[in-house]
Amino acid sequence: MKLFEYQAKQVFSEAKIPVPRGITAGPGEVTKAVGNIGLPCVLKAQVLQGGRGKAGLISVVRTEEEAVSEASRICSVPGVNLLLVEEFLSIQEELFVSVTCSPVTAELVILASRYGGIDIETLAEESPEKLIREPVDIFRGLQGFQARHIAYAMGLEGQAAKQTAGIIQRLFSLYREFDAELAEINPLCITESGEVTAGDAKLVIDDSCLDRHPQFTMRPEHFDDPTEYEAALEGIPYLKFDGDISLMCAGAGLTTAVFDLVHYQGGTVANYLEFGGPNYRKAMKAMELCLRNPSKVILVVTFGTIARADVMAQGIVDAVRELKPDRPVITCIRGTHEEEAVEILSQAGLEPLFDTEEAVRRAVAAAAGEVHV
Amino acid sequence: MSLFADTETRVLVQGITGKEGAFWSTHMITMGTRVAAGVTPGKEGQNLEGVRVYHSVRNALKEHEADASMIFVPPRFVKDAVFEALDGGIRKIVTVAEGIPLHDALEIRSAARSCGAQVIGGNTSGVISPGKAMMGMFPYWIKRVYTPGTVGIMTRSGSLTNEITAMVVSAGFGVSTLIGVGGDTVPGTRFAEMLPSFEADPETEAVVIIGELGGTMEEEVAEAIQDGIFTKPVAAFIGGRTAPEGKRMGHAGAIITGGKGSVQGKVKALEAAGVMTADRPSRMKDCLREMLGGTP
Repeated sequence: MKLFEYQAKQVFSEAKIPVPRGITAGPGEVTKAVGNIGLPCVLKAQVLQGGRGKAGLISVVRTEEEAVSEASRICSVPGVNLLLVEEFLSIQEELFVSVTCSPVTAELVILASRYGGIDIETLAEESPEKLIREPVDIFRGLQGFQARHIAYAMGLEGQAAKQTAGIIQRLFSLYREFDAELAEINPLCITESGEVTAGDAKLVIDDSCLDRHPQFTMRPEHFDDPTEYEAALEGIPYLKFDGDISLMCAGAGLTTAVFDLVHYQGGTVANYLEFGGPNYRKAMKAMELCLRNPSKVILVVTFGTIARADVMAQGIVDAVRELKPDRPVITCIRGTHEEEAVEILSQAGLEPLFDTEEAVRRAVAAAAGEVHV
Repeated sequence: MSLFADTETRVLVQGITGKEGAFWSTHMITMGTRVAAGVTPGKEGQNLEGVRVYHSVRNALKEHEADASMIFVPPRFVKDAVFEALDGGIRKIVTVAEGIPLHDALEIRSAARSCGAQVIGGNTSGVISPGKAMMGMFPYWIKRVYTPGTVGIMTRSGSLTNEITAMVVSAGFGVSTLIGVGGDTVPGTRFAEMLPSFEADPETEAVVIIGELGGTMEEEVAEAIQDGIFTKPVAAFIGGRTAPEGKRMGHAGAIITGGKGSVQGKVKALEAAGVMTADRPSRMKDCLREMLGGTP
């Protein structure tokens, strides 16, 4: 789960990484917050997308009137409900530091550059020598000499080098402490007065470990669509699209393959929904989520092991009885106890298909309004 | 002698008394796997299908010999269980749980690499050599999927494995060994790291890779083939060709970010290395027939 900037900055601040003075404010609280922080100051929309500067979601304001009008402009952008009001920094230089991991070597990796504040992927591609990469043994952890090496390799000197090395060590510690997938500061600012401060803060926490960090909860803002949020609360992976066919499949790999097949066949997907694994008894909820969509067909494809075919077939039959879907339901349910599944579906008047590609063809035809004979 | 687990391989089961552990251990034994002993802290003295249960790996290894360990514990306990198996000198480990913390997965992979152990998983069904042995959870009784043969299979996805393997069998072939490396971002063992075993395995004539968007495992296979590490024919199915960037499609590792991990890039790399790719499951039949010759 990606944290909002203000949440990440609070974590950084508690870990003794300097951050600008700031207060969060809703649309009606901006005047008070600005009074508290002082002018000039910066208004930053608290949204999870990147590229906020280019999208006009960050604004430097110099007067109270400007603060009010800019705040109302930014808050009128869909999805913006909260601002971070921060002290204005006179910036001399923008650096970049990041902690991530390498799945291949199983090491943690510090990435750093003197040239922060810009698209770091472009920098890595066009001038790789400007990006410093320091692997860290996960058991030994980041040593002081490594942090110092990174700071000096960035070309920093004196207090700036010392402070940056310290910040890198603290960033590494919080990466471990917070079960992070990514901890990043871009830009890490050197101010006119020579202080090193986190201009932005990015922290992504491993979804498998959210219960260890209960202060951060999944919020509707983490999702593109309210139904995606509702599905996530049930633990059901769900993505909303604009097409005709609701996928109600089991297994991430198979659902993705069916998603491709629908497109190859000229169809469109209304939603990706996967109710395999621990969710295979949740057919009712899964179908309810599919029906929340104005889709034309529900396509069920499974080939499960632990997710038993008979249990899923019964779940579908019960869901159809209870929810009375206003659109065709196409079923291709295979795997453990598939013979019983065939029986259950047939008795309920649902045709048990056995071939994935045939099921996809039927769904695309049904979505196009063709009745299959 | 199948690679990884054969009828002779003595398997320890950690977490043998849990609901899933007991259910699938029983199936492992029924299928012919040699389960030597079980481990569940606090349950020493119990038994499952005649297999004795011990408090710890150390206690079990005092009375039995084991070549491999099958781990059925919940995700938060996997790291401890893997380290316990490594501590006991076991160097072949399968762990199936979904939801292993990323940092634990990194520690597991790092520890395994430094002592030359193979840890398969997590977030997988495990490993099976049909007709011989299995470490994990497979509906081996479905014969249109789990028929013995000469095609080795490596996969990131359980559900898609059944789908693609059914195509392998319907094309007239069967499976030598199937390795589920799993759907996590940091699997214990990567595709390319299994290739030397498949290369050396006399029972494997060709390998099928079932991949998906995200990560670099498929590209590493292409590289290994280019480097001459693997010389047998390879076919691949990669899911997620039409997946939009930035959307995570189910598996933790299945996401395209910053333009990296796209199926198009993987297919390009694999085809440049001479791998045949199937864009839909049914085409896997044509790939295999073309590679291995004309069974009906």
